[in-house]
Amino acid sequence: MKENYLAKWLNNELSEQELAEFKRSEAFASYEKIIGASESLEAPTFDLERALHDFKKARESSDKKVVRLHPSRYLMRIAAAITVLFAATYFYISSLDETFSTDYAQRTEVVLPDASEVLLNADSKLSYSARKWDEERNLSLEGEAFFKVAKGKKFTVATDAGTVSVLGTQFNVESRKGFFEVTCFEGLVSVNFQGTERKLPAGTSFMVINGTVLPAETPSASEPSWIRNESTFKSIPLLYVFDEFQRQYDIKVETNNIDLQQLFTGSFSNTNINLALQSISAPSQIKYSLEKNKVLFYAENAP
Amino acid sequence: MDNVCEEEVFNSIFKSNSKTVFNYIYYKFGNEEKAYDAVQEAFVKLWENCAKVPPQKAKSFVYTVANNMYLNVLKAEKVRMKYADKSEKTSNESPEFLLEEKEFKEKLDRALNSLPENQRTVFLLNRIDGKKYAEIAEIEGVGIKAIEKRMHLALKTLREQIDGI
Repeated sequence: MKENYLAKWLNNELSEQELAEFKRSEAFASYEKIIGASESLEAPTFDLERALHDFKKARESSDKKVVRLHPSRYLMRIAAAITVLFAATYFYISSLDETFSTDYAQRTEVVLPDASEVLLNADSKLSYSARKWDEERNLSLEGEAFFKVAKGKKFTVATDAGTVSVLGTQFNVESRKGFFEVTCFEGLVSVNFQGTERKLPAGTSFMVINGTVLPAETPSASEPSWIRNESTFKSIPLLYVFDEFQRQYDIKVETNNIDLQQLFTGSFSNTNINLALQSISAPSQIKYSLEKNKVLFYAENAP
Repeated sequence: MDNVCEEEVFNSIFKSNSKTVFNYIYYKFGNEEKAYDAVQEAFVKLWENCAKVPPQKAKSFVYTVANNMYLNVLKAEKVRMKYADKSEKTSNESPEFLLEEKEFKEKLDRALNSLPENQRTVFLLNRIDGKKYAEIAEIEGVGIKAIEKRMHLALKTLREQIDGI
């Protein structure tokens, strides 16, 4: 028999011969009976008018909804996008470290979240994470700063040269190229330098020049002299004195025929350049000439 | 060109297709209420998308929406068919004949219920709604050949059930 012949039979698509063959088959009577009975089959009643009426009601309310919803849906999308943007920005910014920095001839004062104070000397950079401040008081420092630490958890200052940690005190940290000095003015400071920890009680200093730990003079004042606009040195190579001079006055220092390792003891003003130049040159027996943007130091006997 | 968004065009699509959509969903799932809801849903969707659906596609659009509405959601229930009682009007038949006929209809009912829904739907759309195979193919979104196959299998299975083969 032909493929799907039952379907073709119902659709009157069988040829006479095929039909005759089908009629001879045993099952034909049954099929005919089924089709006969199915003639009187009816689907459940469907009220077209009611359906159309219900539909129009549904359509009206959906039309209203459409008009009302579309603009607000659009606005909601924009609002959602803006909210996400703000939230993301907020989290990004709050996860960034707080950073303060000073340029040459600049100085700034930073009050930390726990009311500890930091005075930042010229050409220095201080950063800390405000978000984590409650868990750990960690700062990183490049340059020089004076800390007045409020009592609390361990307070740590990380520098390239070493880390300094305290509980609550006043201390000065200077970390410059080749020069690292910590001075404790109050309380107790612990300095970790190259894996060795040293306790600095009040009134002591720790100094490293070019990797060598040197005996440091005990500070006489209750705060570093730079706080009072004076840079003070005790047996410090001239090289570092000139570096500090450059930082305080934002001026270029050149030297001619001068021993930069010569030790200098004294101080110079951070506010009066002529006075400062005299303070440096007179005890070291060198001469200087001040030009617009630079200072030349030269030996007295040099040409 | 005619637009489905025009009230007249839309109403004529509604009038000529809503009953078949209703029957189509009923044959599949055997639930009158759900079939009625499917008609409403399908035409609301058509109205909402009237600008996007060209008139010649509107028909298959409503069947597809109605079908998708319950796809994988509704468990098929028993399909309860009615019979137009032609026999009663011309009832000078013997009680034995009437009883036998009643029994046969019950058998047919059971057999219809045991058919896979796609075979039952094709069979009933053709038998009750008088839909041609081509039109059923359009509704179901398949080829005519597939509809012929379903029709053939439906009839074959019905007979096997009723004759107890």
